[in-house]
Amino acid sequence: MLEKIKNIARTILSEKQADGVLGLIKGQWDIIQPHIFESPVEVDALVIEPKWLLAKMAMTVLRSSREGYRLAVVVRGCDERALTELVKRNQIEKERLVTLGIACTAEQAQACICDRPYPQKLDCGEAVAGVDTLSVESVKELLAGDGPERMEKWANILKRCIKCYGCRNSCPICVCVPCKLEDQVWVETGVIPAEVLSYHLIRALHLSDTCVACGACQEACPVNIPLMALQMSMREMLRETYGYEAGLDPDRKSPILYDLCKEPAAGQALPDWVNSLRKDDES
Amino acid sequence: MKILIFACKWCGLIGADGAGKKRIQLPTQFRVIPVECAALVEPDAVIRAFASGMTGVAVLGCHLGGCRFNHANHAAIKRLELLKTLLDATGIGGKRLLISFGTAHEDHQYAEVVKTFFDELEAMPSTAAWIS
Repeated sequence: MLEKIKNIARTILSEKQADGVLGLIKGQWDIIQPHIFESPVEVDALVIEPKWLLAKMAMTVLRSSREGYRLAVVVRGCDERALTELVKRNQIEKERLVTLGIACTAEQAQACICDRPYPQKLDCGEAVAGVDTLSVESVKELLAGDGPERMEKWANILKRCIKCYGCRNSCPICVCVPCKLEDQVWVETGVIPAEVLSYHLIRALHLSDTCVACGACQEACPVNIPLMALQMSMREMLRETYGYEAGLDPDRKSPILYDLCKEPAAGQALPDWVNSLRKDDES
Repeated sequence: MKILIFACKWCGLIGADGAGKKRIQLPTQFRVIPVECAALVEPDAVIRAFASGMTGVAVLGCHLGGCRFNHANHAAIKRLELLKTLLDATGIGGKRLLISFGTAHEDHQYAEVVKTFFDELEAMPSTAAWIS
């Protein structure tokens, strides 16, 4: 699998399909780090393990490089979805991006609680089935119990927060400038632990329809807050009602940006009077 | 018990006004914030209201299809439904957020909505665990 991906990378570079390949390099003293390969000779040092999210890095590189610079990125499933979301949000120009998809193994999917551990454009590796996110024990435990019980559980977990903003900074899709979480109006600054409700729920809600379930926030968290579990129920809701999953279809915008007539919920019959204002645009 | 009501200027607020004029007896622990359209109520504002100690938040708007701003309240209902899912997941309870479109134009309707919401909230446990 590694050889195959190296060959593809070499072809891309020699045929000038892209000016650089962003991937991981095993460099001096066996340190693994992200690197942009710009000549086919360098590619020998390319590695694909461990999982390293490159989407945000790709965005930074593309923004700071010269116009017309094309970048190929070695992506996993989550990375590809994140890149698609970034393209949808006009953070990356689609024409300047090439992806090289690799699939994750079943164990990795288990560890990440990933429901789609393969990219849509798969270049090497075998796609394995993902896990059903809401039936994993650790998630079930967090979402179990009735109202007050669950509230106490979550309050205790979220009170561990030291407000390092790691979840926001590591998230490939958190790109807003300015960020609401730094605004005194929304979240009181200089207070630790963060105001649990406003800080965490505002962050979770802003990502509700864009979260690609890569788990970067959770990995970055120094106090092990299971942040993914917050997103899962919302992702499930979007999938069930609108059949929408973030990062899959580059042409479909999030259903919550639209009205009920354009993106109706599954099985929803709208009364006629809802549609009355739209008569002229349909004819 | 504190309730915050975001009332759309064209429906909910007219109902609230009428209920006041008619001197309908209502619980007193609520405050109304007039907004131009229910779509201007960001879900973040609702979260902020809960964080500052509100027991419940209500968003009252015009009925679907009757919005002054074409389809604005369609988008609002979708966003707020999503917030409800999050509130449910964290145990606060989606029922603390009342989304009611087209049910509070008239004074007696408004009074009914507020009273029902109060009764519902009274039966729910306190949110003290969150706010400390």
